[in-house]
Amino acid sequence: MSAILTAEHVTKSYPVPGGEMVAIRNLSLDIAEGEFLCLLGASGCGKSTMLNMFAGFTAPTTGRVLLQGRPITGIEPRCGMVFQSYALFPWKTVQENIEFPLRMRDVPRSERRAIASSLIEMVHLDGFADRYPGELSGGMQQRVTLARCLAADPLVMLMDEPFAALDAMTRQVMQDELLRIQERSGKTIVFITHNIDEAIILGHRIVVMSARPGRIRTIVENPLPRPRHVGVQTSHAFADLKAELWAQIEEEVMQHVAASRLAEHA
Amino acid sequence: MAAPDQVAAVAPRNTPFIVLAPPSWLALISLASVLTILALWAAATTFGWVSPLFLPSPVDVARAAAKLASNGDLWRAILASSARVFAGFFLAAAIAIPLGVAMAVFGPVRAMFSPLISLLRPLPSITWIPLTILWLGIGEQQKVMIVFLGSWIYILLATYEATRRVDPLLVRAARNLGAGDFTVMREVILPGALPGILAGLKVSLAIAWSCVLSAEMIAARSGLGALIWEAKEWGDMTVVLVGMTSISLTVLLADAVAGRVELVLQPWERARRRH
Ligand SMILES: Nc1ncnc2c1ncn2[C@@H]1O[C@H](COP(=O)(O)OP(=O)(O)OP(=O)(O)O)[C@@H](O)[C@H]1O
Ligand SMILES: [Mg+2]
Repeated sequence: MSAILTAEHVTKSYPVPGGEMVAIRNLSLDIAEGEFLCLLGASGCGKSTMLNMFAGFTAPTTGRVLLQGRPITGIEPRCGMVFQSYALFPWKTVQENIEFPLRMRDVPRSERRAIASSLIEMVHLDGFADRYPGELSGGMQQRVTLARCLAADPLVMLMDEPFAALDAMTRQVMQDELLRIQERSGKTIVFITHNIDEAIILGHRIVVMSARPGRIRTIVENPLPRPRHVGVQTSHAFADLKAELWAQIEEEVMQHVAASRLAEHA
Repeated sequence: MAAPDQVAAVAPRNTPFIVLAPPSWLALISLASVLTILALWAAATTFGWVSPLFLPSPVDVARAAAKLASNGDLWRAILASSARVFAGFFLAAAIAIPLGVAMAVFGPVRAMFSPLISLLRPLPSITWIPLTILWLGIGEQQKVMIVFLGSWIYILLATYEATRRVDPLLVRAARNLGAGDFTVMREVILPGALPGILAGLKVSLAIAWSCVLSAEMIAARSGLGALIWEAKEWGDMTVVLVGMTSISLTVLLADAVAGRVELVLQPWERARRRH
């Protein structure tokens, strides 16, 4: 396994009034080709920031981000993003949003239609092809974003909490779908989540991040067998891994909660 | 968590002036308000609260309007003013919209034009009347020029603001999906700026009307402004009021048409309109 995506001593700070805020400090990570990597961490610990650097939206303050060994210098279409805030084009219908990346690759119209239809079906939005994003619920929009990224068929898929707005049932269905896609295509996926269960169901490896500044606290190999299925949640191995992960992040979460309480009362 | 409250982030940030299809009771309130104004006006004149010399009665105004309409004078005046407004307005839009987008997108263009705009912005169109008469005489060209000068900056500023406010996340998303500069411009920036541009056009249209009227009052032989000014010379306040009412109604009509155009150009706004 060779690294497809690499972060080398990445530090990212944002200028804020009266100084700067270090969002990520000295983070190094190798992501293998074909790997399903879950980034798990509390809100505000720098997960989106890290993903934005992999997509080339922002550059590290120091350190390097590499795709296939070459530095990422600008927006990188080979690292497709499923945005946390959807980023659908409000003036395009569901169908048009999903067809957009296909048009960018000059896929012929009939083929575009076919691909978009099958993706719409896959994310369970049959009958909504001609709706505008503003006419959909948050969870529905989130599934359109996922379908649009799948249509783009990038080398690496960067997913920023893609199922956060879904109800428990739909979430499971989508997780299963994603597992199957990954199994079939062997795509590299970097998947952000707050949800320990989700990380265990999906990830080959789980990176637990610590908050402020964001660093890697630990990386856990997921021993659960593959191909995986959402039903894995009932196994003992699952429960054990969950306990282990929870122990790792409990402290982080507690720190974060305490910090935000403080901030609230300030 | 990425909660449903993030749905709002997807919507264009600047909600345009939308011509709502209001529930019938809203229409009733509006109707009642118009009737009240008319009733007050009628009462004020019939009961002699004000002298007819200062304010003619609505009945007299309606009668004068009917007369001017039947001999064609009123329609000719409306047509003459409208033609000037539309010529000047379209000229202004044709220049200001591309320029506004260019200024928002290219720093050098912005640097080149912003001093000029800062200098011209505070000048009301009426201050251009002496110069434009000197340059172009008092014919059609001068009226069109006044409309142009009075409205282009507002269109430009609205376009500039709307373009700057297009969600950068959507630009990123488009590039991430493989879009080049041209596609980003045509499929993200322009549609993203459209609601703001259209809103600016609607505001500027009303401004364009006030420009043409001031130009016509100072020097013109046709148009609603001339009609009002001539009537004033004769002391005929009924005709002055006919002119004023016609202006209001014409601009109202133009606004309604603009609202329809908005609807057709932005089908995705239909979701918001239903609320
Ligand atoms: N553009 C920015 N300017 C200033 N600070 C920023 C910016 N973007 C992020 N930050 C800060 O960086 C930190 C990490 O933000 P980031 O969005 O990466 O968190 P996250 O782990 O994705 O959180 P969540 O799970 O809530 O999405 C936060 O404290 C945030 O305030
Ligand atoms: Mg985030």
